[in-house]
Order: sequence, then structure tokens, then C-alpha cells
Amino acid sequence: MNPITKNHTAVLQHLQRTLPAECLITDGAGLRPYETDGLTAIREMPWVVVLPETEAQVVDVMAICRQHGVPVIPRGAGTGLSGGARPHKDGVVLGLSKMNKILSIDPDNRVAHVQPGVRNLAISNAAKPHGLYYAPDPSSQIACSIGGNVAENAGGVHCLKYGLTVHNVLGVRVLTSDGDVMEIGGALYDNPGLDMLALLCGSEGMLGIVTQVTVALLPEPEKKSVILAGFKQVTDAGNAVASIIGAGIIPAGMEMMDKLAVQAAEQFAHAGYPLDAAAILIIELDGAEAELSAVTAQVIDHLNASGAYQIDQADDAETQARLWKGRKSAFPAVGRLSPDYICMDGTIPRHQLAHVLTQIDELSERFGLAVANVFHAADGNLHPLILFDANVPGQTDQAMAMGGEILQCCVAAGGTVTGEHGIGVEKLDTMCVQFTSDELDQFFRIKDAMDPSGVLNPGKGIPTLTRCGELGGMHVHKGRLPFPELERF
Amino acid sequence: MAADLSAQMISSVKDAYASGQSLVISGQGSKGAWLPDAEMSAGGTLDVTGHSGIQAYQPEELVITARAGTSLEEINAMLAAEGQMLACDPPRFQPTQADGVVGDNASGTLGGVVATGLSGPGRPWSGAVRDAILGVELVNGKGEYLKFGGQVMKNVAGYDVSRLQAGAWGNLGVLASISIRVHPTWQDQCTLVFQLSAEQAQQKCLLLAQQNLPLQGTCWQDGVLSLRLGGHASGVAGAKLALSGQVMQGGTDLEFWANLRDHKADFFQQELFPQTPGTKKIWRLVVPSAAPLPGNWLSADDLLIEWGGGLRWLRHDDDAAVVAYAKSVGGWCWAKGEQMPIDVVQARYMNELKRAFDPKNIFLSPMVLNQSLHTNPQPNPQERQQHAD
Repeated sequence: MNPITKNHTAVLQHLQRTLPAECLITDGAGLRPYETDGLTAIREMPWVVVLPETEAQVVDVMAICRQHGVPVIPRGAGTGLSGGARPHKDGVVLGLSKMNKILSIDPDNRVAHVQPGVRNLAISNAAKPHGLYYAPDPSSQIACSIGGNVAENAGGVHCLKYGLTVHNVLGVRVLTSDGDVMEIGGALYDNPGLDMLALLCGSEGMLGIVTQVTVALLPEPEKKSVILAGFKQVTDAGNAVASIIGAGIIPAGMEMMDKLAVQAAEQFAHAGYPLDAAAILIIELDGAEAELSAVTAQVIDHLNASGAYQIDQADDAETQARLWKGRKSAFPAVGRLSPDYICMDGTIPRHQLAHVLTQIDELSERFGLAVANVFHAADGNLHPLILFDANVPGQTDQAMAMGGEILQCCVAAGGTVTGEHGIGVEKLDTMCVQFTSDELDQFFRIKDAMDPSGVLNPGKGIPTLTRCGELGGMHVHKGRLPFPELERF
Repeated sequence: MAADLSAQMISSVKDAYASGQSLVISGQGSKGAWLPDAEMSAGGTLDVTGHSGIQAYQPEELVITARAGTSLEEINAMLAAEGQMLACDPPRFQPTQADGVVGDNASGTLGGVVATGLSGPGRPWSGAVRDAILGVELVNGKGEYLKFGGQVMKNVAGYDVSRLQAGAWGNLGVLASISIRVHPTWQDQCTLVFQLSAEQAQQKCLLLAQQNLPLQGTCWQDGVLSLRLGGHASGVAGAKLALSGQVMQGGTDLEFWANLRDHKADFFQQELFPQTPGTKKIWRLVVPSAAPLPGNWLSADDLLIEWGGGLRWLRHDDDAAVVAYAKSVGGWCWAKGEQMPIDVVQARYMNELKRAFDPKNIFLSPMVLNQSLHTNPQPNPQERQQHAD
């Protein structure tokens, strides 16, 4: 990449000449909200934020940054949980929040064409008059933007049945750092050539800037049913999940919470969760009425057979909302138990759940830090919340170290270090556990192919080989010593 | 027969990387007729069919992992025994030779399914091949054995190299192992038929697609719209009642959809004998579902519509008319046996991506990404040499 210029003044003057004043933020108070995203532990004050209102302005900003060799840090709503939008000390934060128009809802083709700053939930709201909705629902859906969803390949609680962002985005307009605008895909079921759309989903703003998105819309489910089941043993809950899926049932959502998470959520949300349960499952089923009642009965049979000691079924929207409220407020609820917590985001094969939870228990004991587990059971995505107190010297480091070990357990169990939150800056080191130097190198060559000048979100997503090499306590990856061939440079 | 030939694959690619010899990756050849075979003869063949065998399958995990050379038949049989299937329902074409003679009973490998990325009649409702891919292991053009993705559904660690392989037609590397998502088989299915014009059928499909129905396929041809319903028995029964069409006889319907998927239906028969006088070129058009139908320039007999309107097969010899129509409705078209059309700017980035995986351009693919080769289908040897540098 070009040497980064330290000449902020020249860049700023160039931006000021090109963009309307209201598209630039340079004062301290105005910049403050941009110093971090949802990963608040990591901060960097930006020196300029640009908020373009049109694609043409985005193109201009990119051209200026490329010309000056200045990093561009794309940002949506700033709700990301891995620091993907953390500013760069010499970079320009490119916020897309002003490009927030729903351009059209096309019910015949069941798509919506939207600008990147449109909020996730706003799409479903706009499609509702047509009986349609946008399926992926990350927990931040009232705030997060669709552009950010594309960058992170955002998930949610309904992924097993309805897929992730990559399954529900049919097209993007994307600006490359070289200034090319490509329209990839559209209201189409496949496209010629390499699937760059798949590559862009989850690329954390390192390959291009999305300036427009075409999303698929689905018919709203006719009816929903929500079931709450309490278990005395975590393994029983795990077996219930396997037994339901093994029987050929694909629930719309299936969430598990362990005892600590249940207790925290119940105190906070009064959802009616059984406080004496070692684990609970919340299962959402949807579909046409006849099918729904048949499948609900089947699921309840599986829960009984797996040893559930309490089963509540909610068919009315109000009770359903109450049952979900506990789960959806689990993070803030756990936040009340402890001054600080960090949220991990590993994914594991479902059958490894009991094994991994046992390992987490052992780690919890060893580190002396409590862990509350919230689990997207349907798709194997585990969110252990490690509780700690940042004011106790050394505890932050302990919590981070423990989190790293949990992710190593996930990888060893055949899973991955991040299911839906992304690598950003938070999990750069854990990438060294999951990938070999050849694989990391392949990632860098992909980056070079799409962003030859290297200005897009540098330092995120993929750790350098040097960084991996310098990591203390090298990890053994599937029995192989890592990086025996590593060049030091 | 299960065998791990990855060491040989790595060594073949390393040799090619060292010598500059081009390689053509081949499976069973079942989709060989889909893209031009010009230039392919220049390379040595890397046959991956021997690298086969199912490596991991636990039904409740909803994923199967198999070596790329594993036959689709073996995978389908293994899944069927557990009440599961590949939701993307990839076509099982049969290999054809230049003279149009149908080859043996082979129907493709898992690697071929991924490399070609072709999805079956249920694509709008059950997803494409790329949607189902969870992880791949591949040998890149430097002979490095790399693993991306995994066996879990949610995974955002690193770029999505796995899905990038779907439809890459062997440009980026030799697929060695693939983890692909599976789905429970439908408890029940049935097909309803309606006598409708193409316009009426399109309107009906657009309306039905906005409702909660267990739709799994649509096909309009020759004045008949066939709708496939599949899923939970009570859902299928409810939809059958609500739609009140004529029910296609059980058994006949399975054959109907398999023939459509595998291009054994009459409409596609001339695919096998493209040189026969009187046959027309077969075009595959992917268009927005609600896009207007072709006008009078196309005989109604030469139109077949799938995917709720989103996939249209045309038989026509006037290239300009077909291309103009596809463009005018915001779609794209591809004539079977010809170069896939790729936007010039996008082709440039795709070619850079190929270079990122295959820096010496040793993998010869029928899907040519290099723009200069694309515009000039027969490059002079010197030009090819430059690209290899």
C-alpha cells in the first residue's frame, strides 16, 4: 500500500473543496461518537468523519483518499461488535448513515432496493403493507444498517431456516478503491462469472464500499408458535435440539440459555422463565396453520422425551413477545450482574455443545470468572458472556485470555472463532489459531486483487503473519505446529 | 471407491506450477457441454474422480463432508437413507461426446456440483448451490492445500472463499473436499397442473410467491403450468386444497421434475444433437421473475419458464434478439456451449481474483475470466504466455 500520509491538512482541504460542509465532521464533540463501534473497549479518536449523501460523493471521497494514500474506514450504524469500524489514526471515517433511503419495494420480484444506511428493521416495516419482510434479524436490527449487515454477513436468531445476510442479499452496487462502480447481481437468482457477491458479504469493508443493496423479501409467516422448555440438565437440552433437528424439523428459531443467563434475564425481563432450570430452550415455529399445529405437537413430544420438566406454549403475540423478551435482553441483563462482561461468538457443531460447555465450566473455575451462556442452538452459534470487573487489576486481561481459550475450544471442536460478529480488530489473534500462514496469505492476495492500493479498512479482519508469529503461547492447530515455514519480515 | 489422492493432486499442481504446464480439472464430464471447450486441449488433465469418499456425515448436524470426486449418486443415496437431501437439488446431466452420444450412467461429482454452481428447479425456495456451501478444502495454483469455512452454518472468520468456489468452473483451484448443507426430505409432495397461457401462468406464479405456500418448483411449457409442492404433509395438503389444480399422478410427477432438472425433458432433447439440421440454439436466461415475457419474435413452443419466472429457457438462433431481450429486462443470457458473458469491469476484478489463487494461470477453465481472452476467443500464443508470467 502507499505510504500513509500524515498530512491531514491537505486531505481535509481537498475534502472541504469537494463536499458540502454538512457532510464533514471535524470538531471534537462531533467526532466523539465515532471513536468506537459496538466494541466499546477499543477506541481511537478520528480526526475527520465524512458523511456523504450520494454515491457520487462516496466516489469523490474514495478518489481523494486514494490520491493521498489515506485509509478509508467504512462505517454503517456503528453497532458492530468486533471493532470493524474502529477509526484509523491517519484514516478517514466514511459513514454511510445519510444514505438511508429505501429506493423501492418491488413486491412482484419480492425484492427491496435500498441505500446502505437504511436500518435493517426499516426494510421489513416498508415491506409490511405487501405482506413481505426481510428475514435476517440481528439483535441490533432496530439500529444496524443493511450496509453494515453486508459487511459483517450479519446473522440473528432465525438463520437455520432463513439464512444469513449472504443468503438474503441478491445484489449490491459496490465502489472499489480504484474507483470502479460495479453492479453485482440484482433481482436475479444467479449471475455470470465468479460470485463476488458472496465474497463481499462478510468482508468487513476491506474489499469495497457498498452503495446500494438489493435484498430478497419473503412472505410473512401466516402464524407463529413459541415454546419454552426447562431442563434440569444442560445435556438434556442439547439432546432435545439434536432430536428435533434429527426428526427433520427446521424451527424458525431455537435458543438455549444456561442457568446464569436465565436467572439474569428473568430478574431483568420477568419473562416467566423457570429459575431452577439448568438450561432452557425457546423454540419458535412458523408456517401455515395446519402445518404449524402438527409440527408444534411433534416438537413438544421431542421435548418431553428429552426430559423437559416444564413446557409452556404461547400462541398469542403478547405471550410470545414476553418469552422472547427475556432472551433478547439477556446481554443487558447479564450486564447488571457484573460491572463488565465480554461476549464471545464461537460456533460449534451442535453435537459438541455439552463437551464445549464442560470445558467452559472448567475454564471458568480456573480463571475464577463466571460465564453466562447464550446459545443460538439451531445453528451452533455460542455466545459465552464472561463476567469481570475492569477495576480489579488484571481482570480484563484474564477475561480476554479466557475468551481466547474458549475460542480455541470452539476451533478444536470443529467450529470457528466467529459466527456472526466478525473479526474486526477484536479477534485478529484468534485467526492465527484457525488458519495456517498459507491460508492467511491467500486472504491477503484476495485483498490485493480487490483493493490494490490497500486503503480500505487496513489492519482489520486478517492478521499479518508477523503478528501471528509474534503471538505468545503458540497454538497447535490440529496437531500441527503452526507456521513452521513462517518467514520473519 | 473411497481414496485420498490429495497428495497426488498437490504434487500435480506443484509440478505444473514449476513447469508452466496448464491443467484442466475434470470430474465425470457430465456438464462438459455447457461451456466452450476451445483452448481446453492445451492443458494436461487433472482427473479428480479418484479422490472420493464421504468423510463426515451426522444427520442431525445437517451437513455432509465429502471428497470432491465423490459421485452425486453416492451422496444422494447416503442422504436418502437418513431422510435428507441436497436442497439445491443439482442437475444430474449425463456426459455427452462430440457426436452427441450419451455417455455412461455417470451423473456428476460433488466437486462438479460446486464448480459449476448449477441449481435445480427449487432454487428460489430452497436456495442455490452457493447458499448450501459451508466449507471447502482446495489446492490453489501454487499447490498449497488450503481450508476455508467449516462444517458450521455461521462462520464469518476470513473472506468467504468457500462460496466463491460455486460457479468458478475450476478457475481458482482444485476442489478437494466440500462441506455442504443438507435438508430433511419433504414429508410429502405433489404437483398441480393448470392450463394457462404464459402470461396467465406468470401472474399466478407472482401472486403465489407472495403467499405462504410450500412451493418447490414451477414450470410453464406449452400451455401448462406445473406447480410442485413439497414439505410437511399437512402443509402440502392445505396448499393442495387452496390451489385446487389438477393433481399430476403420483410417480409421474417425480419423473417430470427429474427430467426437467436433468434436461431429459423433450424441450432439451436437441441439446444432445446440436449439429442436427433444424435444431435451434438453447439459451438460459436469468431475469427478474416479473420481467415481461418475450414478444412475438419467439414462438411459444420455444419457451420454457422455471423458478417462478426467474429462469427462462429459449430456443432461438437470432443471438442479437435474445441478448437484447435479456438486457432490456435487466437479466442475462447464456447460450449453452458458448462463453459465459461477463461485464467488462467485473471481469477485470474476477481475473485479478483468479490471479490471487492461480498466479501462473495454470488452471484452464472453460469460463474465461481474462477480458482480453474473452473479447478475442482465440488469443495468439504470445498473449497467453504474457498472462502466464
